[in-house]
Amino acid sequence: MGEVKHKNLKPLQVNPIKLSQPMGAALAFFGVGGCMPLMHGAIGCTSFTKVFLTRHFAEPIAIQTTAVTDVTAILDGGDYNIVESVKNITGKVTPELIGLFTTGLTETKGDDIRGVAARIDFPLVHVNTPDYEGALESGWALATKALIDQLVEPTEAIDDEKVLLLPHVSLTPVEVEKIREFIAAFGFEVLALPDLSTSLDGHLGEKQAALSSGGISVEEIRAAASANFVLSVGASMRPSAEALRKKNPFIRHLHFDHLQGLEATDALAALLLKESGRQEPPQGLVRWRKRLQDAMLDSHFSLGQTRFLVAGEPDQIAGLCSSLREAGGRVRVAISTVDSPQLEQIPAEKVLVGDLEDAENLHDEYDLIITNFHGETLSHRLHKALVLRGYPNWEQVGNQLKNDVLYEGGAYFLFEAANAATRWRVEGGGES
Amino acid sequence: MAKKPKIKELLDESACAHNKTKKNACNAPVPGATTGGCAFEGAQISLFPYADAAHLVHGPLTCLGSSWETRATETSFVGRDLTQMGFTTAISMSDVVFGGEQKLLGAIDYIMERYAPQAIFVYATCVTALIGDDLDAVCRHAARKYGVPMVPVHAPGFVGSKNLGSRLGGEAVLERLIGTLEPETTTPFDINLIGEYNVTGDMWRYAPLLEELGIRVLSTLSGDGRVARIRTAHRARLNVIVCAKSLISLTRKMEERYGIPSISLSFYGRRDTSSGLLAIAEALGDADLIERTRNLIAREEARLEQRLAPYRAVFEGKKAVLNTGGNKSWSIASALQDLGIEVVATAVKKATEADREKAGQYLGENGVLMMNPGAEQARIIDETGADLLLAGGRSLYTAIKKRIAFADVNQEKKKSYGGYDGLLNLAEDLKNALENPVFRNVARRAPWEK
Repeated sequence: MGEVKHKNLKPLQVNPIKLSQPMGAALAFFGVGGCMPLMHGAIGCTSFTKVFLTRHFAEPIAIQTTAVTDVTAILDGGDYNIVESVKNITGKVTPELIGLFTTGLTETKGDDIRGVAARIDFPLVHVNTPDYEGALESGWALATKALIDQLVEPTEAIDDEKVLLLPHVSLTPVEVEKIREFIAAFGFEVLALPDLSTSLDGHLGEKQAALSSGGISVEEIRAAASANFVLSVGASMRPSAEALRKKNPFIRHLHFDHLQGLEATDALAALLLKESGRQEPPQGLVRWRKRLQDAMLDSHFSLGQTRFLVAGEPDQIAGLCSSLREAGGRVRVAISTVDSPQLEQIPAEKVLVGDLEDAENLHDEYDLIITNFHGETLSHRLHKALVLRGYPNWEQVGNQLKNDVLYEGGAYFLFEAANAATRWRVEGGGES
Repeated sequence: MAKKPKIKELLDESACAHNKTKKNACNAPVPGATTGGCAFEGAQISLFPYADAAHLVHGPLTCLGSSWETRATETSFVGRDLTQMGFTTAISMSDVVFGGEQKLLGAIDYIMERYAPQAIFVYATCVTALIGDDLDAVCRHAARKYGVPMVPVHAPGFVGSKNLGSRLGGEAVLERLIGTLEPETTTPFDINLIGEYNVTGDMWRYAPLLEELGIRVLSTLSGDGRVARIRTAHRARLNVIVCAKSLISLTRKMEERYGIPSISLSFYGRRDTSSGLLAIAEALGDADLIERTRNLIAREEARLEQRLAPYRAVFEGKKAVLNTGGNKSWSIASALQDLGIEVVATAVKKATEADREKAGQYLGENGVLMMNPGAEQARIIDETGADLLLAGGRSLYTAIKKRIAFADVNQEKKKSYGGYDGLLNLAEDLKNALENPVFRNVARRAPWEK
C-alpha cells in the first residue's frame, strides 16, 4: 500500500469521473422486479440519467420524474409533485413498487419525503440521495439499505439454504449472475439485492416492457431476512448488510471487499466449503481456477512491464487493482471518485480522490489507463493504452456482459489488459 | 445592475406562429409523466460548442457529471477543445449551507490560470439558483480581474424545457457578447449561422459551398464557433437560423437592435440544401450571387445524382414508415424521398401545426400522418407492405415482429447526414439496414417454442 490522499483540495472538478447519488439509486431500483424509479427533482435530473443509461446499456430505460419547477420548488413541500407523480404513473402502468429518491434540488428545498410517503397509499420505498454528497456507489447503497429497512419483514426464522447477496454498484449484470451461480454451485439458493442480472442484462423480450422486466421480486425482498447469511461485496454495501441483521438477530453477515483475482475468489470458495459442509468443490470451479492460474502466467510478462492508472468507484478500483497486482501489473495511480475506507486497502503506489485532470497531471507515471468512456480522449491525447471499465461506456456495446470477477472473469480481465498493453507497445508505446 | 432574462417574455415569443392560437405558450411539465431535457441542457446544447471558451457548471454533480462529452460537436479550433472538457464546481453540503460564491470564484481563477480561455460561460443550476448565489456579481468581478468576458447563463433546469434553455443561452450571448467587438473587415455577404451546432461536422458539409459563393460566415451560434467572432455578430447582413426554432427570440431581437433580417432553413437532404442555399442568396439580394448560386446548385445536384446512382436500384420501390418527432417528421421524410424511397407514413404526434402541414405536403394525399404512431405503425406496415421502419429504439420490437428492416433515428449521431454529401451517408446507412438479415434472423423461433 502506498500513499493515500483522502481529500482533493481543488475548488472544482475538471473532467469528472464521479457520478451522482441519484443515478446510483435509480440503478438499484432497476434491479427490483416491476419497480418504477421516480426521481424527485427537475426534469433534467431524470432526463440526463435516462439518456446516460440508455446509451450505456443500449436499452430503453423506464424512469420517471416528479418534474419540480421553479414555482413548485418554492411553493410546494414535495407533496404536490410526488402525489401527482404517483397518480400519473399508476394511471398508466401498475408497478409492483415505486422507488422514490431525491436530488440536490429537493434536498436543498428540504422536502420531507418520508412524511409524504406515509400519506401515499401505494407500495413505495423512499430514500434521500442529494447529489451534493456521495456518488454513484453510495446512491446505490443507500437505495439498497432503504429497500431493506422499509420492505423486509422481521423474523427469527432461518432458512439454511438461502443466501442473500448484496453486490456493489459497479458489478455488471453478468457479474452478479456469475457470483450468484458460484454460490449456488455449493448447494445454496441465492438472491441478489439489487439484481441487475435479469433486468439490465440486455435480453430480447417479447415486447417493450414499460417497467423493469426482471430483478429480485418485491416478495423475495420482503422475505429476505430468513437467509442463512448475507454476503456483501464492496465496502459500500456493509451498512445494507447491517440493516438486514436488524431484521433478524440470527442472520450472519459475511463480507468481501471485492471478488476479483485468485486470492479473493479462493477466500470465497473456502468460505462456501465451510458453510456448505462440503468436502469437494464443484467441478467447473476447479477447472476455472486452473485456467485463471494459467492466465496469470500467460499475462504476467506483459503486465509486469506495464504501469497502470485505474480510476473509478472505490469498490470497483479495489478489485481491479488487486487482480492486476496479483499477476504483476504495476498499479502506479488509483483515482477514486470519493473517499472510502476501501482506499487504504488498494494495492497501488498512489491512491487519491480526484478526477481525470489529476490523471492527466500524473501522465508520466503510467502506460495504460483503466477507466470509463471519458478516458478515451485522455488516452489519445497522452498516447496511452486503454481498457474501458465502469459507467459510462458509450463507445462499446456489450457492457452488460463484461465479466471480471471470480476465477473465470479474472482470466478474461487479465488477458484483455495484457493484450491492450502489448498492442500499445507494438504500436509505438507512447511515442507520439 | 445586470439584466436577467425575463422568462415569461421568452415564453411568449411574438415571432412564434403558434402563440397566436395557444393560450399558454409553453406548459409546465406533468409530474410522473414527462420526458425530455431541462433548461440547463438546452443552454448547454446551444453554448458548449464554443471550443475556445470554458464552460463552468455551478451546481451539484448530476448536471455536468452525466452530460459532459456527450455531443459530437466538431471544431477546427487548434487549441485545446474545451467543449469536450467538463468543468463543475461540484458543490458540497457546506456550499449549500454557506453559499457557493467563493468556490465559484476559486474555480474561475483555477480555470484562467491553467487553461486561459477566451471567455468563461458560468451556468446556474437549480441548487445554486435556489440558494441564491449571485452569478452576475461573481462574473462581473472576474471579468474585471481577467479582462475576458465572463458570461452568466441563467438557465437552471427547473425553469423549463430544453427549448427555453436554448433561448436563455441565446439571451446570455446577446446581452454579454454580441456587439462587444468590431470585425476587422466586413463584406456585403456576411452571415451568422444561428442554431447550427456542427454535430458530427454537419456544417462542414455545406460551409465550403457558401465560401465558394463568396458568402462569409461571420460568426456562428455556436457550431465550430469562436468567442471573438460571435462578439462581432452585430455586423452581419443576415441571420440564418438552421433547424432551431428556439433561437427565434434572439434573431428577432437582433433585427430590432441591429436591423439584421433573418431566415430559417435546414440543410437536410437535397431539396432542403438547394433551397437553403438559394434562400440565403436571395435574402442577400445580389443578382449575380443568385445566378452563381443557381449554377452551383445545378452542379452539386448533378454530382450528387451521379454518386447516388448505385443506390437507386436498392431503393427502387422501397417503402418506409417514419416514427419520430418535431421537424424530423418532414425533414427526414424529404431526405428519404430524395433517395427514391416512398414514405408511406410519418408520425406527427409530437410535431407543431406548421410541421404537420409541411409533413402533409411532402407525403402527398396517400401518405398517412400518424397521430398515435405506437398503435398505428404495425397496422400500416401490414397494409402498405413497408420495407423499412425508421424510429426510436422502442419501436425495434415492431420491426422484428414484422420482420422488416429497422433504423434508429434517435441514435446518437456518429456521422453527418447534412448537406449534399450527408445524403450519401444516409443512403449508405439505409442500404446497409435494408440488406441486413439480422431483423429476420433474430425473429427465428427457438427450437423449444411452439
